[in-house]
Amino acid sequence: MTSAIEIRSLAKQFGSIRAVDDLSFEVAQGRVTGFLGPNGSGKTTTLRMLLGLVSVTEGTATFGGTRYVDLDHPIRHVGAALEATSFHPARRAEDHLKSVALAGGVSLSRVDETLEMVGLTEVARRRVGKFSLGMRQRLQLATALLGDPEILILDEPANGLDPQGIQWLRSFIRNQASMGHSVLVSSHLLSEMEETVDDVVIISQGTLVLQTTLADMAAQAGTGTGMRIRTPEVRRLTDALAAVPVAWRQVAVDTLVIDGATPEWFGPFAAHHQIVLYELINERGSLEDVFLSLTQGFDAEHPPGADGRSGQSAPFHAPGAPT
Amino acid sequence: MIAIVRSEWTKLRTTSVPWILTGIALVITGLFILLYFVLNGQTGGGQVGTGTDGSFGLPHPGYPHTVQQLRDLLGRGLGAYIFSLLLGVLIITTEFRHKTVTTSFLATPRRSQFVIGKMIAAALAGALLACIILVATLLGAGIAIAVEGGSFTALFGQLGAVAPGMILVFVLFALLGVGVGSLITNQVAAIIICLGWFLILESIIEALWHWTAKWLPSGAASAAANVTASGRESTFGLFNWWQGSLLILAYGLVFAVIGSVVLARRDIT
Repeated sequence: MTSAIEIRSLAKQFGSIRAVDDLSFEVAQGRVTGFLGPNGSGKTTTLRMLLGLVSVTEGTATFGGTRYVDLDHPIRHVGAALEATSFHPARRAEDHLKSVALAGGVSLSRVDETLEMVGLTEVARRRVGKFSLGMRQRLQLATALLGDPEILILDEPANGLDPQGIQWLRSFIRNQASMGHSVLVSSHLLSEMEETVDDVVIISQGTLVLQTTLADMAAQAGTGTGMRIRTPEVRRLTDALAAVPVAWRQVAVDTLVIDGATPEWFGPFAAHHQIVLYELINERGSLEDVFLSLTQGFDAEHPPGADGRSGQSAPFHAPGAPT
Repeated sequence: MIAIVRSEWTKLRTTSVPWILTGIALVITGLFILLYFVLNGQTGGGQVGTGTDGSFGLPHPGYPHTVQQLRDLLGRGLGAYIFSLLLGVLIITTEFRHKTVTTSFLATPRRSQFVIGKMIAAALAGALLACIILVATLLGAGIAIAVEGGSFTALFGQLGAVAPGMILVFVLFALLGVGVGSLITNQVAAIIICLGWFLILESIIEALWHWTAKWLPSGAASAAANVTASGRESTFGLFNWWQGSLLILAYGLVFAVIGSVVLARRDIT
């Protein structure tokens, strides 16, 4: 399989900060690759190095061996949507696209076509300053599509979109892939992208954590199972659990998660100890759990435990440990 | 390169700033013309003619009519080259202010090309601004002269003597503006530095060291505006028109080259 994008031993030093370090991965042609990592993990810096906006400290970032700046009429080959703020507020949407088309050597007929593709035809003559965040994201996509590129790079395109917008974005990306285009899409939330991507590249603190296919990752996720139990008798349950070799953790005042437990084992166990249960959930590990465990604790903007998402942030207790 | 210039021209005309700058330049030029007529009306009445109109010895009419007077009047708008400079500064710093530079660099990843495209577009805009001001001056002053019984055609006749120098100066200062803007990409800082230099610092330096006058941008502008009076040495010890033009161009290119080098290394985050 040939690669649309090749990142080799890429590094970026900002002063004393190593934003990206020895990063290597590939984006396969005709597939959608999710570029995932917590906020501040170096995704945007990597994409900007790839696009020639940020200088490379070490290594290479190329499109089939050619640097972005060396491409002939680059926007005809690579379309990039980087941030929703980069418009002149007083300029009309179609004038913005026109100026980009002219500079990029793209036919002006593409202006109306791309506005149509992202559903902004009716506001073509409106000043971008009056656009909502979602409309700006669409205009950013229209800008990326102007040159009818075979490679698309989207940096956090779901940010600021409402649920319908995200749904539209997903089908848009799948549609691009069905036309044989390669898409590299970054996100700090795997759940946003898990229905959309074929491959995943996960980075944390500027280095590669995992490159795999979504299918492989899903297989890995299925192994991490457990039981989530809500009970008014937490103390009695933990006392009972102390006698058996299972790991558990308390995730709320009245809720425990028991790793590796099955309902077939836990049901009789609770009955035997006569413990009252309010809720008994068989938890299959989600992709998001795998993602979080791989990047655990490295989110520069949201320290672990601050968001209360799942039991990952609660302290882990070995069997028998005092609560 | 033509495509890049067309893109820059589209960017320029689709925002309101260039039009506002043109408007302010026109208003100020109008005030200059008004001032000229007021002053001329007070002092010009009893002057003795120089013989250019064959009326030697007779009192002159109150309106401007000698060749030099007509040329002075038509060239009233020359000082508006400051707006041409600001236009050049804005054409590049606006990209950084609104972060549109990301999109621009994606379409034109070679940054020296980006700066050259901006310079050509700014030069065209500067020339257009000079033409607009000349036409406005011609119409405004011409009508005023005609009302007082003078000749509109006499004023129009001097256009060929004034226009080339004025257009040249406006073009050169637009280029200088892009040069300054490519080096100082912070819009507010660039504007303050430009205005501070031309409105305050330059006159201080000139007053302290008189010999600097011909080397300073304003002195070079006065010299360059003299394009049609080539060969005649200016009384202020300025350069002749092409030396003055080269000097402004050199200032602009020095800024643009340093600016392009700095810009080429700059990370757009």
